[in-house]
Amino acid sequence: MDAHVAQLQMQYRNYILSLYQQGFLDDQFTELKSLQDDGSPDFVAEVLSLFFDDCVKLVGNMARALDQIGTVDFCQVGANVHQLKGSSSSVGAKRVKGLCINFKELCEAKNYEGCVRCLQQVDIEYKTLKAKLQDMFNLEKQIVQAGGIVPQVDIN
Amino acid sequence: MTVEQGIEAVDQFPVGMRVLAVDDDHTCLRILETLLHRCQYHVTTTDKAQTALELSRENKNKFDLVISDVDMPDMDGFKLLELVGLEMDLPVIKLSSHSDPKYVMKGVKHGACDYLLKPVRIEELKNIWQHVVRKSKFKKMKSVVTNGESEGNSDQNGVRANRKRKDPLEEEDEEEEEQQERGNEKKPRVIWTREMHNKFLAAVDHVGIKNAVPKKILELMDVDNLTRDNVASHLQKFRLALKKITNEAKQQVNMAAANSHFMQMSSLKGLGGFHHHSPIPLGSSQFHGGAATTRHYPSNRTFAGMFPHVSSSLPRNLHNDGGYMLQGTPFPPLENLHINSNNKAFPSFASQQSSLLVAPSLVLEGHQQSSSPSYSPHLEINKRLEDWSNNIPQSNVHSEPDALGWNMFGNSTNQTYFCRDTDFGSSSAAHADSLQMKQQHENIFSPMTVAQLLRSSSANEGLFMGQQKLEDGFMASDAGSLDDIVNSMMTQEQSSRVLGRRLA
Repeated sequence: MDAHVAQLQMQYRNYILSLYQQGFLDDQFTELKSLQDDGSPDFVAEVLSLFFDDCVKLVGNMARALDQIGTVDFCQVGANVHQLKGSSSSVGAKRVKGLCINFKELCEAKNYEGCVRCLQQVDIEYKTLKAKLQDMFNLEKQIVQAGGIVPQVDIN
Repeated sequence: MTVEQGIEAVDQFPVGMRVLAVDDDHTCLRILETLLHRCQYHVTTTDKAQTALELSRENKNKFDLVISDVDMPDMDGFKLLELVGLEMDLPVIKLSSHSDPKYVMKGVKHGACDYLLKPVRIEELKNIWQHVVRKSKFKKMKSVVTNGESEGNSDQNGVRANRKRKDPLEEEDEEEEEQQERGNEKKPRVIWTREMHNKFLAAVDHVGIKNAVPKKILELMDVDNLTRDNVASHLQKFRLALKKITNEAKQQVNMAAANSHFMQMSSLKGLGGFHHHSPIPLGSSQFHGGAATTRHYPSNRTFAGMFPHVSSSLPRNLHNDGGYMLQGTPFPPLENLHINSNNKAFPSFASQQSSLLVAPSLVLEGHQQSSSPSYSPHLEINKRLEDWSNNIPQSNVHSEPDALGWNMFGNSTNQTYFCRDTDFGSSSAAHADSLQMKQQHENIFSPMTVAQLLRSSSANEGLFMGQQKLEDGFMASDAGSLDDIVNSMMTQEQSSRVLGRRLA
């Protein structure tokens, strides 16, 4: 059992490190994790689920705005991008945030094609992140079920 | 306003500072809320600017600080900033993921105290309380009552503000700030009625004096229109008075009053008619910042009621303080002070209370457990009283309601202390008043009476202490030389300033 737990923990650690290395997550995610404690054990999960809900909403808004071919309200799109940038940076979704920065410039330039492309990338990116974090949570659950404690992963 | 708000629990600020967080982004709002909780602030969140505005308007003393996002759908963040700043005069911190300097500039121009970039880090939030302090200091600066002091304050603004916040009992800061504050901020005064005070004491008893925090007390008290700050300043005064009582009690351990003195106590009751304004230039409109003093404490009740309150070793004085002053009719004769029966706030003291009221002598006896004290102190005091009375011109103090009379019992010094809250201005004024008070005293008190006041503390500390404090307070003012009184008044004033400040 212990060996199993240790193995899971190792797997978990490696997985987390890879997420950071691949640029999915950044320091802000570490901060988020540090806010989780006994008083709020599901804090990270809660915040992330709020984030992904926001992603769905914002991407939807932007898609709708960009659908108005010929009368695209780039300000509206820009506002949504801005919000997404804010929330992604708050949770540590590094790649999503990076995309938002580009996206914003495209909006200001009123580059329709660019915006559409960027939006597609944002869509793919947040969904990918969502899947990866889901895997991470699953690993945590397995560790706990196996009787172990989820290890604190030191990024540095 | 912010000053008082900021002083959550004077010795606990910035812990418990009340923050209103506004952001339409739920993710960020949730994170912000958690971060603020981690900083030990009290947080209220909303995702609508309109709601935020309503919440803060609802009760101007509800929050110490507002943190708001810039981009919000229902209202421009800058507009909210302006409105909150203007109407409620609260420090507002802007939050945004726009790092563009022009947004920062816009924020500052609209009156933001600070501009934070998302993602917000906890380190940045740990220091936001400085804005509350700064703002209150700034307000005080603007409303300088005394010339020199304001300059002194402004020079050391930041340092003193911090120091003051951290240690509100520091006299030097308090004196000036209180004076300034007094002159300028007309905050609605809360009158601590006996009932409220009873509830306060009950709440303090419940949580224990060591754990007494305004928030808990406020919750336990469950009184409408009472803010945490009101409770906080009341608590502050309570603690200070308590400390004073303890100190005085120790000093007077060897003093005991003769039983006969107790009988004379009834004459003390007669003091009811006497306003101990002395320490409190109560008559002065300043006292209540010009506001009508609402000391509506039914005088007789007050006095009598005070005793029961004492149970929590709460210095009666607490009732006398800026805004708390009990003004009332002269105390009825002692016999009429059976009010105790009404003061069931502290059942444990009920019996004591009744004994107190009914038979002061009995009470005194109860208090005195030590060997008979020497009377010399009070003889001396009596003499001083005489001296003072001779020197004291009749003041208009008499016109003051008797609440002061109550004060007299409850520690003229304390009163001064509370009076200070009312922005006395100069100690000499207070002093003069005390003289007047003394004079009045003199008429009513006999030397023995005074002696009675000097009593050793006894077991029933709570009740006793309170009583003692009342008496001691009286004595204290008499006991010392004029200088002593002035000094003690100064001290009290300074302390009370802090409290006064806290009064909403």
